[in-house]
Amino acid sequence: MKAFVFDSTICHGCYQCQLACKDEHCGNDWTPYAKPQPETGHFWGKLNEYVRGTVPKVKMSYVFVPCQHCKNAPCIDVCSIGAIYAREDGLIIINPKTCTGCQKCIDICSYKAVYYNSNLDIAQKCTGCSHLIDRGWKEPRCSDACPTLALKHGEESDLRDLINRAETLYPEYGLTTRVHYIGLPKKFIAGTVYDSVTKEVVIGATCTLSGDSTATVVTDSYGDFWFNDLEVGTFSLKIEASGYPAKEINSIKTEKDVNLGDISLT
Amino acid sequence: MKEEKEKQPINENRKQSGEVTRRGFLVGAGTVVVGGAIGAGLLSSCKGGEMVTTTVTSTKTVPTTITTTVGGPGATITETKTVGAGDTITVTKTETKTGGGLEPWQEPEISSVRSFGLSGFGKGGEAAVVDVKNGKIVRCRSLRFDGIKKDGSDATSTEEERAAAIWKIDARGKTFTALTKSNPNYFTFGYKKCTYSPNRIKYPLKRVDWEPGGDPAKINSQNRGISKFKRISWDEATSIVADEIKRVQSAYGAYAVYAQGDGHGQGKCLQGTHGANMRCLNTVGGYTMQVRNADSWEGWYWGAKHVWGCESWGTQKPQTNIFNDIAHNCDMIVMWGGDPDTTETGFKGQVTGRYLYYLTELGIKQVYVCPDLNYSAAVHADKWIPVYPNTDAALHLAIAYMWITEETYDKDYLDSHSYGFDKFKDYVLGIEDGVPKTPEWASPKCGVPEWTIKAFARDWASKTVTITHGCGGGGLMRTPYGHEPARLEVYLLGMQGLGKPGVNQTVFWIGPEVKWRVRVSYLLDGLLCTQMTPQFIPKPVFAEAVLDGHMETWGSTHLDAPLADQFVKYTYPIPAEEGGTEIHMMWATNPCLTGCWNNSFKTIEAFRSDKIECIVIQHPWLENDCLFADILLPTTSIIEDEDLYFNSGAHIGTVALSRRVIEPVGESKMDREAAMEIAKKLGTYEQFTEGKTQEEWFQFLWGKSEFSKHYTFEELEKKSYVMAPLREDWEEMPAGLSKFYNDPKANPLTNPKGILEYYSDRLAENFPDDMERAPVAKWVIGGSEADGWFHDESRWGERFKQYPLVLVSNHPRWRHHVQCDEIPWLREIPTCKIKGYDGYMYEPVWIHPSDAASRGIENGDIVKVFNERGIVLGGAYVTERIRPGATFQDHGARLDLITDGIDRGGSNNLISPRNGVSANCKGQATSGFLVEVAKVTPDEMEGWRKQYPDAFSRDYDPACGLTYNSWVEGGLD
Repeated sequence: MKAFVFDSTICHGCYQCQLACKDEHCGNDWTPYAKPQPETGHFWGKLNEYVRGTVPKVKMSYVFVPCQHCKNAPCIDVCSIGAIYAREDGLIIINPKTCTGCQKCIDICSYKAVYYNSNLDIAQKCTGCSHLIDRGWKEPRCSDACPTLALKHGEESDLRDLINRAETLYPEYGLTTRVHYIGLPKKFIAGTVYDSVTKEVVIGATCTLSGDSTATVVTDSYGDFWFNDLEVGTFSLKIEASGYPAKEINSIKTEKDVNLGDISLT
Repeated sequence: MKEEKEKQPINENRKQSGEVTRRGFLVGAGTVVVGGAIGAGLLSSCKGGEMVTTTVTSTKTVPTTITTTVGGPGATITETKTVGAGDTITVTKTETKTGGGLEPWQEPEISSVRSFGLSGFGKGGEAAVVDVKNGKIVRCRSLRFDGIKKDGSDATSTEEERAAAIWKIDARGKTFTALTKSNPNYFTFGYKKCTYSPNRIKYPLKRVDWEPGGDPAKINSQNRGISKFKRISWDEATSIVADEIKRVQSAYGAYAVYAQGDGHGQGKCLQGTHGANMRCLNTVGGYTMQVRNADSWEGWYWGAKHVWGCESWGTQKPQTNIFNDIAHNCDMIVMWGGDPDTTETGFKGQVTGRYLYYLTELGIKQVYVCPDLNYSAAVHADKWIPVYPNTDAALHLAIAYMWITEETYDKDYLDSHSYGFDKFKDYVLGIEDGVPKTPEWASPKCGVPEWTIKAFARDWASKTVTITHGCGGGGLMRTPYGHEPARLEVYLLGMQGLGKPGVNQTVFWIGPEVKWRVRVSYLLDGLLCTQMTPQFIPKPVFAEAVLDGHMETWGSTHLDAPLADQFVKYTYPIPAEEGGTEIHMMWATNPCLTGCWNNSFKTIEAFRSDKIECIVIQHPWLENDCLFADILLPTTSIIEDEDLYFNSGAHIGTVALSRRVIEPVGESKMDREAAMEIAKKLGTYEQFTEGKTQEEWFQFLWGKSEFSKHYTFEELEKKSYVMAPLREDWEEMPAGLSKFYNDPKANPLTNPKGILEYYSDRLAENFPDDMERAPVAKWVIGGSEADGWFHDESRWGERFKQYPLVLVSNHPRWRHHVQCDEIPWLREIPTCKIKGYDGYMYEPVWIHPSDAASRGIENGDIVKVFNERGIVLGGAYVTERIRPGATFQDHGARLDLITDGIDRGGSNNLISPRNGVSANCKGQATSGFLVEVAKVTPDEMEGWRKQYPDAFSRDYDPACGLTYNSWVEGGLD
């Protein structure tokens, strides 16, 4: 069975997955796997980007979202004419010859991975480049184009170690997917601790986070602290350093990543 | 039953392709040739669109070679296999018709290895493969050295060759292994859209209101960039060009023809985008050369070279083994202004991005100092220090102050490896000018908190640090007075023992050393761009030279000129008795003055001068400078060519031979062919070609390559590419400047004293009154012209009151300079273009939320970036990726003038400062200058629309921008 693994921690946003997908499918007819993708507007393998935090604590994360090739794919069930099917290797195909363009599969896909081609009046999506796989290729275009190996595609059995430490994108959708994610961006709380009298950073200050989860870090050589991989919630931060009164910051909400800025202990 | 088949394409595949597929041949093989000798046994044939494969069984005494030729209309490729002794070769009879029995996915394709390096000068990039079907490009992809197919049947390299070329770094218990696939740039994956762009110049064109002959009343030079073109024949076009060359040279002298053949372009070799015009003009007496200045290297060239030599560009040389050195010896890298994930791609693909993740894995910290959270910083930075644009010198000086006062620098090293450090120390401590360069002094200048400056200085001093850049160092030194931060950076490296393990400067260009030199010098015509002509014009002063009729520069400004050249004064024109004359005709290949060089609204004025009686440009796309031409000659994109590629900058070096796989678009010709057509009309075809055919030139170039000692040309042809093996001892090779570190006397630098010159005697002697580039690097902000300053582009001058933002203009992420602006799939990326309310795709203008709010700007608004030099439009990208007080827009967006002084395309070089890094350094300063950003109101836009209806009626497709039809009467017909 085929599977994808995407590791967000080593994706540097070159978009080659998204571009190679378009290079393969725009203007090329791969019937019976897929008819040509429109020149623009479809993203069968979509890279989403997120700018997180505020100056100067800013990071970017990228997440690749193709069709998840769900084992319990609702699109197959909803297709009244049976145009959508799972191959023996698990890849899910919308037969472009039989699709009538009713768009029920588009409406039901929680991942918004199915697109409507108005010119051809059909639904279209990632085929896992099964036309190439069946032609003997090692990989689909997206993973073949990935320069950092953040995106991998192959046999589920070969990717087992990675899959074991991966998670599902939007598990709340309740779908069993064949695209597995490592390092999906969570939330961070960061800041810089300094002394406004001496105009020096405070190195080695103990920062303790409490609330929806707990963690402790010490400030680094720039007086910086970073709490990474936090869930959305409410937190309190206590900063302690010898020679300074402890400082507490409460009600830190992580709907967005949080930069607490430069925090003086004096 | 039918339905069942359609659900099971895997089975269908096996059934249809039969034996052929199992043997790993291309599906739907057309022609199969069996036999040890060439031409033995043709077993099938292609007739029209119908493909027939006949079957024969043949038993051979072997080893023998099976040659499989797959043919489709307009294309043929040959695959060769050797099978073992006694093998029986069976080809099963199948009979198929294209478009009949075969589904589209099964139709035969042919593959061609080439390169999508975009830097010109015969310098390839990463190898890549173009797959073609029925004469049309199917895809552009990475080259899998071990084959794209699972069974490796399409690999032409051997396991031994791969093992010899694929490098590894083992450091701190972790291994970095180069990929077994090429790692091309993102442009590669959309390049077919450049080849098939609706903006391709398909036929020779002539501007409608220009006539040859030089009569000011008939050349209508004032209409360049305004009036349209009409199609003419190659015969007419080349006759006009040849006649104009003859007329101009006879009226004014040979040097009245100006040859522009520099700057970036597709990485072709024999068919190079640069120099074919020069070769042609050399057959008729010569030309005035446009000199390529150190466009991406200004600060290093005009500044750092005076400190450490490092000919000729001024960044550190040698660069040997730095990847290995950093991995083994560094605690931290400081990326100062650089963005290698972006700027390396056109040269060497994507290897640096992956390597930077490896450094993180090794625990090597990455500090990024830059006003913008560039693409590398956004994913690799452990610490981002957002400095105000072009104030890095203040930060450098404060760091030096900390090191000197806390005695955390290498005094012993400086004693033996430097000259004049005391003078620098006196300046830093304020002994010279009464102003100690403390963190408190620096903080309001560079916008970095005092405590962060101190922490940075101490962290650096306690660690082993290499300073890294992408190509050219981004916004650090392509700026007014960029020589100052460049020199200061070298000063700091010296204070920490430059050259010792882990202390170097790198631009991430050079991977492990290979056994055979991949690059063959500058190739053929491209070589001419490096050979000075008696009369020349440095590219940054082109406008001044034309409009004023004369110019003077210190130094030729040539990127490859040695340091001493900066003390030579050159004039244009040269004396008449030496053949000097003003230029009256231009012949440019692949020009991009408007999008890549300085103050280019002024350049447009020069294009419109009636002194220039004829402008000839050859280029594949109707864009930028082409709009100002009188005659346009259509040239090919890289996919249409046949050429040799020397991919030296690549993460794995390759040499490739690429045969023609698609027909040229329209009537386009390769650059060299275009110039040859003109040579024919000049009667100098034989001199041009030196009597050699193209094939003979390929052989000649191949013969110049060290690879030719190890492979025959026939082997190259058969394999289509060969890989560069590593030197066996590459890991032991001295890293960077380690030899200088170990023994500066035996291994001197290339500057006059052979050691680091913190004080330059030569600058002191030659330019005693230069307050902008003094003998010791300083904090220089410029000021008013009345006070003798060359630039007033800082936050402390008069102009700042009107233009209170500093523009950072990096080498673009989603273009290579001006190249590839039309790829629709790139334009869909959020930071590539921003769709305005009018549907136009604007070049993003990054602005911090606080600066946007105070100007009433919202994300996605159409905005104008402006100063007294003009207006360029953009789409607001309101983001935390830029610090307050700065704004950012990539350079090189495709020109779309609304009128003089207003560009809708967003090409901000148009409003960059006048020529010069400083008074005596006539390079270019195209980042770090003052602008204001304001929302373009619908009323203002409507006003322009009414006033300039022609500009708004051009044929424009949001997916790719302006098209051929917008500038050609009758359009495609």
